[in-house]
Amino acid sequence: MQHGFYFDHQRCVKCHACEIACKTWNEVEIGPRWREVVKIESGTFPAVTAMNVSMACMHCGDAPCKSACPVSAISKSAKNGIVTVDPNKCIGCGFCAWACPFGAPQLTAESGKMEKCNFCQTPGKERPLDMPRACEEICPTGAIRSGPMNLLATLERDAAASRLGRSGIQGLPGLILDAERRFGAGEQA
Amino acid sequence: MDQPDDLGSRLAQIKGAKLVKSFCYTCPWQCPTEVLVRDGQVVYHKGNPESPNNIGSRCAKGMASVYLTRDPDRLKYPMLRTNPKGSPGQFKRISWDEAFSFIAEKLELIRDKWGPEAVAYTCHHDPNTVFFRHLLGDLYGSPNNYTHTSGCEQDRRAACLTVFGHVFPMHDFANSRYVILWGMNNLGANQGLWESRALIEAKKKGAKLVVVDPNFTETAQKANEWIPIKPGTDGSMALAMCSVIIQESLYDSDFVKRYCEGFDGFRQHLLSHGYTPEWAEPICGIKAETITRLAREFAGTKPAMSAIFKGSGYYTNGADAARTCYILNALCGEVDKPGNLNLKDWAPLAAPVIIPEEAKAKPQKPPLHIAMGYPLAPDLPNSRLPDAVIDGKPYPVKGLFVQSTNPVMSDPNRDRVQEMFRNLELGVAIEIFMSETALECDIVLPETSFYEHAEIRNGMWLGPEVILCQPAVPPVGEAKPLYDIVKGLATKMGWGAYFPYEKWEDWGELVMKDIPMSLEDLKRTGFWAGPVRYNRVPDGLATPSGKVEIRSEAYASAGFDPYPVYTERSVIPDKDFPLQLTHSKLSMHCNVLTQNNPFLMEICGENWMEINRVDALKYGIQDNSYAIVESPKDHIRIRAKVVEGLVPGCISIRHGHGFGHWAMGSVAKGKGAHSNNLMDTHTNPITGANCYNECKVRVRSAAT
Repeated sequence: MQHGFYFDHQRCVKCHACEIACKTWNEVEIGPRWREVVKIESGTFPAVTAMNVSMACMHCGDAPCKSACPVSAISKSAKNGIVTVDPNKCIGCGFCAWACPFGAPQLTAESGKMEKCNFCQTPGKERPLDMPRACEEICPTGAIRSGPMNLLATLERDAAASRLGRSGIQGLPGLILDAERRFGAGEQA
Repeated sequence: MDQPDDLGSRLAQIKGAKLVKSFCYTCPWQCPTEVLVRDGQVVYHKGNPESPNNIGSRCAKGMASVYLTRDPDRLKYPMLRTNPKGSPGQFKRISWDEAFSFIAEKLELIRDKWGPEAVAYTCHHDPNTVFFRHLLGDLYGSPNNYTHTSGCEQDRRAACLTVFGHVFPMHDFANSRYVILWGMNNLGANQGLWESRALIEAKKKGAKLVVVDPNFTETAQKANEWIPIKPGTDGSMALAMCSVIIQESLYDSDFVKRYCEGFDGFRQHLLSHGYTPEWAEPICGIKAETITRLAREFAGTKPAMSAIFKGSGYYTNGADAARTCYILNALCGEVDKPGNLNLKDWAPLAAPVIIPEEAKAKPQKPPLHIAMGYPLAPDLPNSRLPDAVIDGKPYPVKGLFVQSTNPVMSDPNRDRVQEMFRNLELGVAIEIFMSETALECDIVLPETSFYEHAEIRNGMWLGPEVILCQPAVPPVGEAKPLYDIVKGLATKMGWGAYFPYEKWEDWGELVMKDIPMSLEDLKRTGFWAGPVRYNRVPDGLATPSGKVEIRSEAYASAGFDPYPVYTERSVIPDKDFPLQLTHSKLSMHCNVLTQNNPFLMEICGENWMEINRVDALKYGIQDNSYAIVESPKDHIRIRAKVVEGLVPGCISIRHGHGFGHWAMGSVAKGKGAHSNNLMDTHTNPITGANCYNECKVRVRSAAT
């Protein structure tokens, strides 16, 4: 079963803990950033909004980096779908970085070779897949989850159901609070 | 091999490491942690998953702190100044014995000439400070043992003590349906991680979050409504909200009658001052109808919470702003119930040493904050300390200990703070780096980091909680824990018998004597948590009246209006300096301590100034270019970010106190800009807080 990440931007507060957890667990040197939190702002004062996204390798089903690699250094596990790069084969050409739509491949390491998120599967410090990834383990607000894709889809389904069914059910006894009607149209609820 | 089932042990097994339960002291929220140690090196540092305090999670600063144990710039030996004061110190290595003799002799000299009150101690908030308090306070006889609050949340703290008789309430976001935060960016600074998660969860469940802040902070981003208030005017809006709640009879009449002091007087006070939404609108820049609507929503939704932290302070009018924000809760009967501010119980930790009464010295002079005229100050008014050292007012201070704090960087008016250190007979820095303040001292003592020593303290969780930090790796160089530094100095001064411990567990047993858990068990769990309690108001509070004090007798007897009033802040922008300077913090840095950390500097290696697009156009500031920020006192060159999320008419310098290091370490040095010399000294007249935002500036492009 393909493994991947689930990310809830409503929870992410851009604290960057995931980046450092990734770095310290996987012993990544300064330079390559296997994971990075990006903030997207829009609107004009005072109607501004912002969204944070913690970005890393998506371990794509049909990984463009793998297709682009001229020396077959990138492989995708048939067992769990995790995309990894073999540093002994990588020549640091950067084709993978051009091919990747997410900026995941990092070519800033001292070695000059490509590095990226390997789902905490660095040889010698592999986290078994029943454990949380380092980024997931550390997140203060629970914004990152990892696991097999069918389970992650369930998370999103549950979240959507909870949004639909929210009105009135969370108030104290005797108080019916419909978030949307209560705070008026035009405001986020 | 045994297969452990808990995550920490499994991870330790993968890394071939030993697991030590501890806590992180990168910031004062101290998350319980599990430290993975291999061959005397910290290899990973995760959250303690059993702890309700952080539920296994961490922040960037805490995660990155593993570097502290291998930072080559750490102080390794006691260092003595070799050149005269007036220029940055040059130092030579000395032995601990020489260091203790030097300090002990100076302390005796100061006591003989000026009295023991002429020595003061300031620190961050280390619980091991208590050892120094016993030495310097009980035995030496100085009443001047202080921490750092005036550079932090002094206004909020004073307000909370005044209104609720509680020093530091927790935020029970999890049960709240309506949260209004004033100048509080708890998600951005990542304060209590359990609070961050609870606030996000509450929002997910449909609670409304309103953030009142000139800056579109990380917390404002998550809000249902961002109220972009003009800087330094929160008090006016909060008073107007109180007025709506009272005029429209939305208050909890039973609660205010039974449990509050001064409700009727407050009603009269609001009327006679004309504190209405219409009055507040031109002051705070928020429409009267918005203020009225928010007041109705706040009073009409239960449970609700109005909370405040630092941002509304930092002005000379911040004390009453904080008091009013707390009174909003009282009017609606929203105090210490589920979903409210929680007047948490503290765990009864005992003293680590026993000083008999007959051995205790009796100070002849009052503590500095009283002598300075700030009886309501919960901590030393830092900004007035230079007056004592340089001018002898209210009385001379000749010796100063600074531990785990760096006032030359962190206090406003850097020139004056530096001058203060140059006027001392004895300046002692107890530090882990050669900080900017250490450079101004006579002697610098290397302290261990929290990875290398023990601490037992109250946790910052909803219920009473004891958390333990235990040594995970050996000290760097000859660095010593504070309790051993105190023991060494006390022995030199003839008081060694009062500090009889040989190892930390000796005093640890004493500290834990009233806690229903043994020290041995605490070493295995890392924390002890007691039951969460609510509804303590009917039992009586630690205020003079025992009630929630809308009217403060303490204020009245100190010569202030017993009800909160709105006064204009001290420094108003004008034609020459048209912008208000404000400050905000960064989530990936903590104060002045984390800028030598390459992990954090990789994410944020430079601080910046934020300016609204409208002002940027007016003053020719380009996004991501350098700008000159100039006040009547000084100027700095700093990177500019042109943003939409900031009230026009002000700029916001992010982490201005923590960047632009000229000492500390090779990574930190020369990165970003230090903004604390832009402002002159302004002190809150009621609480003695530093007023970081009392400053007007002009900006121009650095390219012209």
